Amino acid sequence: MDLLSNLALGFGVASSLANLAFCLIGVLLGTLIGVLPGIGATATIAMLLPITFQLEPVSSLIMLAGIYYGAQYGGSTTAILINMPGESSSAVTAIDGYQMARKGRAGTALATAALGSFFAGSVATFLVAIFAPPLTTIALKFGAAEYFSLMVMGLVMSVALAHGSVLKALAMVVLGLLLGMVGTDVYTGAPRFTMGMNQFADGLNFVAVAVGVFGIAEILRNLEDEHDRQVMTKNITRLFPNREEFRQMVGPVLRGTGIGSVLGILPGGGAILASFASYTIEKKVSKNPGEFGKGALAGVAGPESANNAGAQTSFIPLLTLGIPANPVMALMIGAMIIQGIVPGPNVVTEQPALFWGIIASMWIGNLMLVVLNLPLIGLWVKLLTVPYYVLFPIIMAMCSIGVYSVNSNPYDLFAVAFFGLLGYIMSKLRCEPAPLLLGFVLGPLLEENLRRAMILSRGDPTTFVTRPISATLLLMSLAILVLVFLPQIRKRRDEVFTESDA
Amino acid sequence: MSHEVPEEVITVDVPGHPPSSPVPPSNPWLGRERLAGFSLVAFGLFALWAGSDLPFMTEGGVGSGLLPRALAIIIMLLGVAQIIVTWNEVPESTGTWPVRDMLPVLIGVFLFAFTIRGYDFGAFSVPVLGMSVATPLSIIFAGAAAKDVRFGELLIFAAILTAVCIGLFRFALGLSLPVAPWLIGY
Repeated sequence: MDLLSNLALGFGVASSLANLAFCLIGVLLGTLIGVLPGIGATATIAMLLPITFQLEPVSSLIMLAGIYYGAQYGGSTTAILINMPGESSSAVTAIDGYQMARKGRAGTALATAALGSFFAGSVATFLVAIFAPPLTTIALKFGAAEYFSLMVMGLVMSVALAHGSVLKALAMVVLGLLLGMVGTDVYTGAPRFTMGMNQFADGLNFVAVAVGVFGIAEILRNLEDEHDRQVMTKNITRLFPNREEFRQMVGPVLRGTGIGSVLGILPGGGAILASFASYTIEKKVSKNPGEFGKGALAGVAGPESANNAGAQTSFIPLLTLGIPANPVMALMIGAMIIQGIVPGPNVVTEQPALFWGIIASMWIGNLMLVVLNLPLIGLWVKLLTVPYYVLFPIIMAMCSIGVYSVNSNPYDLFAVAFFGLLGYIMSKLRCEPAPLLLGFVLGPLLEENLRRAMILSRGDPTTFVTRPISATLLLMSLAILVLVFLPQIRKRRDEVFTESDA
Repeated sequence: MSHEVPEEVITVDVPGHPPSSPVPPSNPWLGRERLAGFSLVAFGLFALWAGSDLPFMTEGGVGSGLLPRALAIIIMLLGVAQIIVTWNEVPESTGTWPVRDMLPVLIGVFLFAFTIRGYDFGAFSVPVLGMSVATPLSIIFAGAAAKDVRFGELLIFAAILTAVCIGLFRFALGLSLPVAPWLIGY
């Protein structure tokens, strides 16, 4: 069977000693930054991108992927123990997980989160393995017009799934697209928006934009709030759930895995949406919904499975179409391009070892997380005692070194500072940075495909609506846009998201 | 199988995001939503002006100016829509702007940029100081501004991190970042 031989190839690649080591480093780093609230997976991956240039492509992508799903685990640990979600996708876990911890069931909550995540991760990895190859055969039939329309749909979806105002999310996508235009125009060689500075002829450095908007802006945001010293007592005993608790877990975990797998494929923070959606559904199907918010096991098991499943399946659009589902995947595209790999449907056929190696490593990484994390919880909690006045200068310095080492260009650092400030202002105006980064990454690709399609059609813009696949994709984008602007849907959408602020 | 962890008291120093109650701005024009709309319009205008010399169409098809101009106009329209849609809302303040805390972080990044491989300001120039100076300099400068800083700890962490970074970037990864050319020649 093809799938089995492919998976065997993947496990062969992923279980080499070096790749196991990078997977381990990735998941440990990911857990660490997931635990630390001052820094997220996006900023870390952006910071570490330069480091991975020196590695083999497959090792570097295995490590970066490990950071991503490791952060999901780490985020839930702090969400449960101190009601402080390290990652936004574990915000829901904090609701019932922390209540469980207060009732002395922290161990059970942590184990539930870990086991649910592991199960969901395994299933989702398998789904990636099953669905990625057929999708790539479809994607290979795509021409420039289809790619253009697909990207439009991806961007529209990211707007629809963004948190808060649709209008502002849409504006952020457009802003990102505009920022992506900075630099030399590939077709005519004309400099655009460079303000006469040669240093920006190659465009804004992607790493600099990501580090600024996610890393530095987050520091600025954290400095705004007064630092609270919270003293709390933790009593972690019995980690493994008993038979009754296992029985309670099964349903939520299965449902969470399903929801997460589907939503993870969609662009725009699939993992976050997945955990919110799972929580809402668990509350609806539960026999005693009153338990939710007071320490319901299902309120931990469901969302945790969902966010991990979503984190895995968000690799599907990346690996098959070369289109990122969220900012982290956008960074992975950056990593692939720098390694000389063109992301897209050709990766499966041209680089099978890379493709299947990454997929296999996700399963191995998930296993490592379960085995390592439960005993290491004490250590992670200790790390939280590092004061923020030490943490943020360190994050800042790592950001600076990381960005500078890409091109040794001080202008990239000026860009970091500028985008840090811009990101902070955006958060003040309640504008989401994620759509901006997606727009920034997809901007040049979108324009290239637009212009190529126009050249192929000899300047006839109807090519986008006369080709059936392209027309369908554009129609779907339009339908999504109309839907999110309909007041009734908007109200429902707000309800789903306000759940998290509880 | 169970792990017994003794009860312990943990002091955690973490930045919190307390839910802030809406505060009206000093001037309704400075309300958050309206400000967001005007910023978008301003940005669109700037992009239109900056891209005004780019050709709209060329013989081969779409010119280098079409998409930038279209996007600039879209962003302005979105800005106007944002202002209109939120016109009747009760304006909310954007909160405090902790410039005193923010500046050191941003300046820290610039300090690193100017010192790592030197910088020519015209009137004077900074020599190549390398990672051994740039890293601790920016860490200490940014950290010193924090309200609850303890200098001893900050210095220790800065020293450790500098050593780790030099080991990692220069020796483990072999990147050609200068370490301390004024002292050891590389």
